[in-house]
Amino acid sequence: MNKTININLGGYFFHIDENAYKKLRRYLDAIAKSLSDDPQGKNEIIADIEARISELLSEKILDARQVVNEQDISDVIKIMGEPEDYTEGEESYTDNSYQYSRRKNNSKKLYRDGDDKFLGGVAAGIAHYFDVDVIWIRLAFILLLFGGGFSLLLYIILWVLLPEAKTTAEKLQMEGEPVNIDNIEKKIREELNSATEKIKNAANEVTQKVNEGVSGVKKNGKKARSGFQEFLDTLGKIITAFFSVIGKFIGVIIIIVSASVLISFILALFSIGSFSILGIEDEYMSLPPFMYDSTLPNWLLVTCTLILVGFPFLVLFVLGLRILSSNVKQFSKTTSLTLLGIWIVALLMIVFTGIEFGTSHARSGSNITKKELYIEPNDTLKLNVVNDDNIYYQYNFRRRDNREEVVVNDKFQWYSNYVKVDVRKSKDETTYVEVRKRSRGKNVSKAQDNASRIRFDYEVSDNKIDVDGFFLTDFGNFAKNEVVYFTLYIPEGVSIYFDDSSRTFLDDIDNTTNIYDNDMVEHYFLMTEDGLHCTDCLKKEDSEGSDE
Amino acid sequence: MKIENTKAQMRKGVLEYCILSILQHGDAYTSEILSTLKSAEMIVVEGTIYPLLTRLKNAGLLSYRWEESTSGPPRKYYVLTENGGMFLKELDKTWSNLINAVNQVTSKKTTKDE
Repeated sequence: MNKTININLGGYFFHIDENAYKKLRRYLDAIAKSLSDDPQGKNEIIADIEARISELLSEKILDARQVVNEQDISDVIKIMGEPEDYTEGEESYTDNSYQYSRRKNNSKKLYRDGDDKFLGGVAAGIAHYFDVDVIWIRLAFILLLFGGGFSLLLYIILWVLLPEAKTTAEKLQMEGEPVNIDNIEKKIREELNSATEKIKNAANEVTQKVNEGVSGVKKNGKKARSGFQEFLDTLGKIITAFFSVIGKFIGVIIIIVSASVLISFILALFSIGSFSILGIEDEYMSLPPFMYDSTLPNWLLVTCTLILVGFPFLVLFVLGLRILSSNVKQFSKTTSLTLLGIWIVALLMIVFTGIEFGTSHARSGSNITKKELYIEPNDTLKLNVVNDDNIYYQYNFRRRDNREEVVVNDKFQWYSNYVKVDVRKSKDETTYVEVRKRSRGKNVSKAQDNASRIRFDYEVSDNKIDVDGFFLTDFGNFAKNEVVYFTLYIPEGVSIYFDDSSRTFLDDIDNTTNIYDNDMVEHYFLMTEDGLHCTDCLKKEDSEGSDE
Repeated sequence: MKIENTKAQMRKGVLEYCILSILQHGDAYTSEILSTLKSAEMIVVEGTIYPLLTRLKNAGLLSYRWEESTSGPPRKYYVLTENGGMFLKELDKTWSNLINAVNQVTSKKTTKDE
C-alpha cells in the first residue's frame, strides 16, 4: 500500500505514488545539478523537461484516476536519458575545458586517466587532482619505491579502487578547476547550498505533514514554521561545514595510519618469508611463546596474525579513501566475502593454537637424574652457587629473577633461577646428587620430555660443588612452572659448608637447630644421626636468641 | 578511444544544424522536433536536446511562442528567427563543403588501398 500525491507537472495533473514521486524528484534535482550555473537558463530548461515528462506520462496514463508508479518514471527516464546526457549537448561548444568546468557545478574528482597512462593512469589522475605535472607524481612514486615498496602497494590499491575516467563528463570532473582560494571558497558555498537545499526539502516535508495533521490550526503555525525552517537551515549549514572539514581531516588521518600499519605488516611478512628461506628464523625472531609448540608452522601463524590485524586496517584504509573521494569504488560483494572468509580462517587458526597452548599445560612431569660423588668420610664439602656471568651482567639481573627472556647462543630462551637446593641425609654410605627437573605438558610423558630438556648443570671438583644458579629452557615453555630441585644426599660424618652465594637458593633445609636458610650460609654443618648440625654457629645462635 | 564516444561526438556537431533545419520547414513544438530527430536516429535520449534549444534561443537563433493545444496545457512552439535563418544558410554551405571534403578524403583512401 502506497500513499499517493497529487502533483502539477507541466500543466498536467497527476496522481503519483510516493516512491515514484521521490524518484522523479531525485531525477529532476540531479538534472538541475548537472546543468550550468546560469539560473535563468536552468529554470527554463527544467520547465521544458517537466513539460515533456508530463506529456510522456499523459500518453501512458489514459485514465485520470490511474496512479503513476515507479515503473512509469523508469520508462520516462529511459526515454529522456540519464542526467549526464543532458550536458552532452553543451559540451561540444566549449573549446576550453577550463571554461567549461567553470560553468559546471561539479566538484573535482579523483579518477584514473586512461589517456595519459604509463601503467594504470593512477599518477596522471593524481596529477590532475592536484593540478601538477604528472612527471612529479611519477617521480614521487619511483622514489618511494626505493623507500620500501610503499608506492607499489599504494599504486596497486589505487589502481583497483579508482575508476577510470571514461566519459567526457568524468574526464572534465577529473581535470576540474585549478585549486585556488577562489575555487575552494566557491566549492564550499556550493556544498553548503546543496546541503541547505536538502534540509529545506526535508523541513518542508515535515512541516507539510504537520500542517496536514493540524490543518485546523492556522496562521500562527505558519510563523512558527518559517522560524523553525530558518533554524534548521542555519543548523544544517553549520553541521555540514563542520563535518565536511572534520570528515576530510579524519579521512586523511585514517588513511595515513592504516596505510602505515599495512605497509609495516607487509614488510614484516616479506622479511619473515626471507628469514625462513635463509634458515635464520629461530635465531632472530621473537614469536609469542604460545606459537612455539604449535602443530601449525610458524610462518602460517605469523601470516594469520598479520591477516587478523591487517584486514581491519585495510577496510579502514578504503573507508578513509571513500571519505576523501566519494567515487572510490567499494569492495565488491565477492571481494568482501572472500576477505571475510580469509579473516575468519585466520582467526580460527589462532584460536586453535591458543587452545592447543592451553592444553599443553595439563599435566606435570619430572625428570630425575642421580650422580654419585666419591667423598672420603669425615670430609667437608663446599657448596657454591654460580651464575653465568655473561648472561647475568648482560641482562643486569637481580638476585632473584624468576623468568627472563634472554638470547643465548643466538636463541631466544627463558632464563630462570628457580633452582632449589636441599641437603638431606643419605640412606646409605654414599654421597650423591639428585637433580629433579619439573615441567608441564599435554600428557605426563610429554611433560617428562619437556622436563628433560631443561638445561641445568653443576660441577664437582675435589670437595667443591658448583651449582648453576639458573636454568635455561626453550622459549616455547612459557608458563610451565618449571623448577629444578637440586638435592645433595650426604652420609653421616660428612660436613658441608654453604657459601654465601647459595643464600637465596637454599630451600628449607632441615637441621637439628632449626636455623633459617638465610642464616645457614657461611657456616659448617655436620650430618649427624639426627640430621644436619651446625658446628660453628652455636654462639651466634645464642646471641641471636638473646636478641629475640 | 571508444567507438561510441567518437560516434556521439560526430552526431553532436551536427545536432544544432539539424534542429535549425527542422524549423526551416515550419514552426514546431519540442515533441515534434524530438520525434523527427529520433526517427532519424540523430539522438538516442531526449534529454540532450533541452539545453541545446535553450542555448540556441538565448543566442537569438530561435524564438518561441505559446500555442493552445486541444489536449492539455499550451505548447511551446519554436520559431526560426531571421538571424537563425542566416546562420542556417552558413551551416548549409559548411555542411555541403564538409560532405565533399569527407567524400574526397575517404574515396581517395579507398582507391589507394585498391
